[in-house]
Amino acid sequence: MDVLALTPWDDWSIFIQLCVNGVTLGSVYALIALGYSMVYGILKMLNFAHGDVYMIGSFLGYFMLTSGLDGPMNLAVPIWLALTLVLLVAMLGAGLLGVAIERFAYRPLRNAPRIAPLISALGVSFFLQNSALLLFGANFRTYDAFTLDGGVLFTKGIFEAWGKDDAIALNLPLLNMLVIGGAIVLMILLTLLVARTRLGKAMRATAFDREAAAMMGINPDRVIMATFFIGSALAGAAGVMVGMLFGQVYHFMGFLAGLKGFTAAVVGGIGSIPGAMLGGLLIGMIEAFSTGYLPEGSKFQDFYVFILLIAVMLFRPTGLLGRADIAKV
Amino acid sequence: MPDEPPIERRPQESERPEYPDAAQRPRVGVDTWVAEHGERVQRGPLRRAAERVPGWARLLAFVAVAAVFPIAVDDEYLQRVGVDTLIFMLLAVGLNVVVGYAGLLDLGYIAFFGFGAYTYAIVSSDKYDYHWPAEATIPFILVVTAALGLLLGLPSRRLLGDYLAIVTLFFGQLFVTITNNSTDVKLPFMDRARDLTGGPNGITDLDPIDFAGVELNSVPRYFWFALALFVLVVVALHFVNESRTGRAWRALREDPLAAEAMTMPVNRLKLLAFAFGAAVAGVTGAIFASLQTAVFPQSFDVSLLIILYAMVILGGTGSLAGVALGAIVVNVLLEGLTNTDDTLPVVGETPPRLLFYGLVAVGLALIVRPWRWLAVAAAATIAFGFAARLVAEQWWERGTAGRPSQAGRIGDLVDGWLLFPRDPVDIGNYAFVALIASVLVLTLLRRPWRWIALAPVLYLAAFVWENRLIQEPSVTRFILLGAILVGLMASRPQGLFGTARVEIA
Amino acid sequence: MTEAPDTVLARDGDRPAPLLELREIVTYYGEINILRQVSLQVNHGELVCLLGGNASGKSTTLKTCLGIVRPRTGRVVFDGEDVTGRPTNYRIARGMAIVPENRRLFAPMTVRENLEMGAYLNGGGVKEDFDRVYELFPLLHERRSQLAGTLSGGEQQMVAMGRALMSRPKLLLMDEPSMGLAPILVERNFEIIKQVHEAGVAVFVVEQNANVSLSIADRGYVLQTGRVVLEGAASDLLQNEDLRKAYLGR
Repeated sequence: MDVLALTPWDDWSIFIQLCVNGVTLGSVYALIALGYSMVYGILKMLNFAHGDVYMIGSFLGYFMLTSGLDGPMNLAVPIWLALTLVLLVAMLGAGLLGVAIERFAYRPLRNAPRIAPLISALGVSFFLQNSALLLFGANFRTYDAFTLDGGVLFTKGIFEAWGKDDAIALNLPLLNMLVIGGAIVLMILLTLLVARTRLGKAMRATAFDREAAAMMGINPDRVIMATFFIGSALAGAAGVMVGMLFGQVYHFMGFLAGLKGFTAAVVGGIGSIPGAMLGGLLIGMIEAFSTGYLPEGSKFQDFYVFILLIAVMLFRPTGLLGRADIAKV
Repeated sequence: MPDEPPIERRPQESERPEYPDAAQRPRVGVDTWVAEHGERVQRGPLRRAAERVPGWARLLAFVAVAAVFPIAVDDEYLQRVGVDTLIFMLLAVGLNVVVGYAGLLDLGYIAFFGFGAYTYAIVSSDKYDYHWPAEATIPFILVVTAALGLLLGLPSRRLLGDYLAIVTLFFGQLFVTITNNSTDVKLPFMDRARDLTGGPNGITDLDPIDFAGVELNSVPRYFWFALALFVLVVVALHFVNESRTGRAWRALREDPLAAEAMTMPVNRLKLLAFAFGAAVAGVTGAIFASLQTAVFPQSFDVSLLIILYAMVILGGTGSLAGVALGAIVVNVLLEGLTNTDDTLPVVGETPPRLLFYGLVAVGLALIVRPWRWLAVAAAATIAFGFAARLVAEQWWERGTAGRPSQAGRIGDLVDGWLLFPRDPVDIGNYAFVALIASVLVLTLLRRPWRWIALAPVLYLAAFVWENRLIQEPSVTRFILLGAILVGLMASRPQGLFGTARVEIA
Repeated sequence: MTEAPDTVLARDGDRPAPLLELREIVTYYGEINILRQVSLQVNHGELVCLLGGNASGKSTTLKTCLGIVRPRTGRVVFDGEDVTGRPTNYRIARGMAIVPENRRLFAPMTVRENLEMGAYLNGGGVKEDFDRVYELFPLLHERRSQLAGTLSGGEQQMVAMGRALMSRPKLLLMDEPSMGLAPILVERNFEIIKQVHEAGVAVFVVEQNANVSLSIADRGYVLQTGRVVLEGAASDLLQNEDLRKAYLGR
């Protein structure tokens, strides 16, 4: 197929399909970007190990799925419960991993020169990646989600699931809808947490001025720990979603996803929570549309995302929703 | 700052108080902070004694030793390690300009290296049927990679360190993606789809460098060529460093805002540093490509970047000798950890084992104080091992069914002491995770408990090493490198040879 | 560290133990010696001021009280407890509160949220706390939903004071309350400090402005190049020749 000739006007069903793919991918990127952004907001450091936390989360979900539910233990639970369990295990595990990384690799460097935690983060990333390679091998592992309940998540389109005919010839698998829905629920919960709760306010206060927050009796270390837990748990959730969507996980998957999440956070305005969501969505859409409409887009999606990044950096260096005052480091 | 002589305090006529004990009484309202600065600074023991040796003498000594290396060592593998080390040294010194001098976190540095290598491949192979002479190729690559550095630096003009990091990291990844996927590409201006880079199969059968009539057809010749280039770069860097630009770079690293306020052309300086680093990387890439006689995308992935950063950081950013030494140490370490075939003479052991136990011993010697505790810990570990072995012989038959996987003196020594389970992969994996957890917990424990827990943790480390890590040397070395980076940052962020910067809270 | 904590706490029977006591504090930033054996105390219900010029170590002294800077030697005793090794948030929980230099409000949060942060350890403050603060600063009630960063300097100072009072502190620390304020506001400010003090809260003011602070203080200390060079009743200090020369320009 000569992709160059294609425009949305040629085939609207492809357009809608790409939209669905873009939004699905975008919500995953947004979840990853949130962790970057929250950590940046509070510590002003780029947590390069975040992508690898996502990878470990994905593996945890995989083991929960294959050995806990589908495999040896074979717990006979309804599919919704199975999915919830997988998600929870991955989120909890990733969250704890994030907390451990913060405690051991970043906390000793609170007052070190700014480059030190960045290098430490690179070291953690390298360590996690290669540890995963040692533990899980170089092979791709296949999420056995397809066998769940006879593959209902993949085969059933959403209209079919509602019992309606697939009239518009759209392929909207239930799984995509679940991923988008799950991501939206998580993001709403996070927004409420940050806006309304005591912890959320403490997080904002600490992000703005850590020393002043401590002067109010807030324990910054604990708030930072909570931030890492929440951000990493979101990455764990994203890991499970990607595992389900693409069916496979491997030790190096964290790098590229982390890079995209990162870019999403920067494009949206690093440190800004709505910015991370917007950035994620934007990058997901660009990737999806580039496969359909741009020259060699299926090979060079990354290139088009890079163009977006450069454009944002040139014309709005603080990101789309970033405030100018954040830029002062 | 510590070099200024203490200024003697002498009360000025106008403010001399009229009390009889005036000299003893602290005077109110006289700001003596500046005057007393000298005595307020505590001087540490004489540091940087090595820096008394002039730079040219150190370089000369290094060159003298290095130049005879390929002659003295008549082993192609070791000679090859030597060339690789020089390539790493060149790369590290170039990266040091960007990170250490200008303070820019450039995570796309490897792409310039790759770009240089691919450019060489394109103009020196049958792929496009170009066979340029090296006298033209190398200056060409120098210019092209420097230009690329400028181009990448342009959007980063107003960017702060963190944004630069993400743009360059993405750029580095993009290089791998593009070289990997450009096998069947039809861009708008092309009439048909073409194979541009060979994809994962790369470009092969490159011409060897033929520079000024000398064809680099053997490993020693590459060694000398790389050495000459290294000297050239170091000398050039020395002059740049002493120049206005060099001072400006350092000012830029210390405080970009202040540098800008002093009307320094911050953007131009950043771009210059970027271009300089890129050019060094590019030319080094050409040597690398020609040495390998081929280029592949996976040679330029993010692992290489982290290795390079480990070299620069370990040596101490900003110190030329430091990063060069860092490159040597890290590369020899990484090579040694994978070399499981040769048993070294004299000690009768393979390099990985020696390095691992050596690293553990050195690490302990640095951490454990006073040193008599070291002896206690060693004795406790040995005792713990025999006890564990005894217990296992009684109740865990599988645990003693295996044997060390590699021969060697240390292997023989630990045979009766460590547990060697049958099929150790799974157990080894669990033990590995347990080892990480227990090392982390160990750092949290307080004094007596920390030393009490040390013995079982050391035993566990030996167990994991002998049963699992030693089987997968190429993975293990990166795990160790990652752990070393994290540990180094926590204990000595300025690197081994860097000097600490006092940051006032 | 010459004395065990127990002996630090033992005082002669007739005098009550001070609320806050610094004992021979020595502090360094890196290799630079900032405080050299600073000792001072603030008694219950007392208003004490610490005077000193630029770089005399005033702010470091305050940061040492709060635990932001850790002394190399010496002890900090608060309300009968040795808090030297304790983090800032612990000391706040024990009853300190601070109005920091330059106010340090949480600019992107509302006035009310800022006040809530002041009472963070009391679960964000009960109604009485808000009422008390709003009574003292009626303007803050009006502005409660406004972002703190959009207020004027004087209003921000009110938020900072109110925020500190939200935790019902035993000791209110104030870092340069007059800095960056118009003279009329400075007077207002010290009026409020006096009011708070009269309500029974001990106040420790760190200031460059000797005149205003000594006029409301009970006692004062003068710090210079990291040493306490003068101390005494505020009225005596106001008469001191050297001090007048150095700080009052007379």
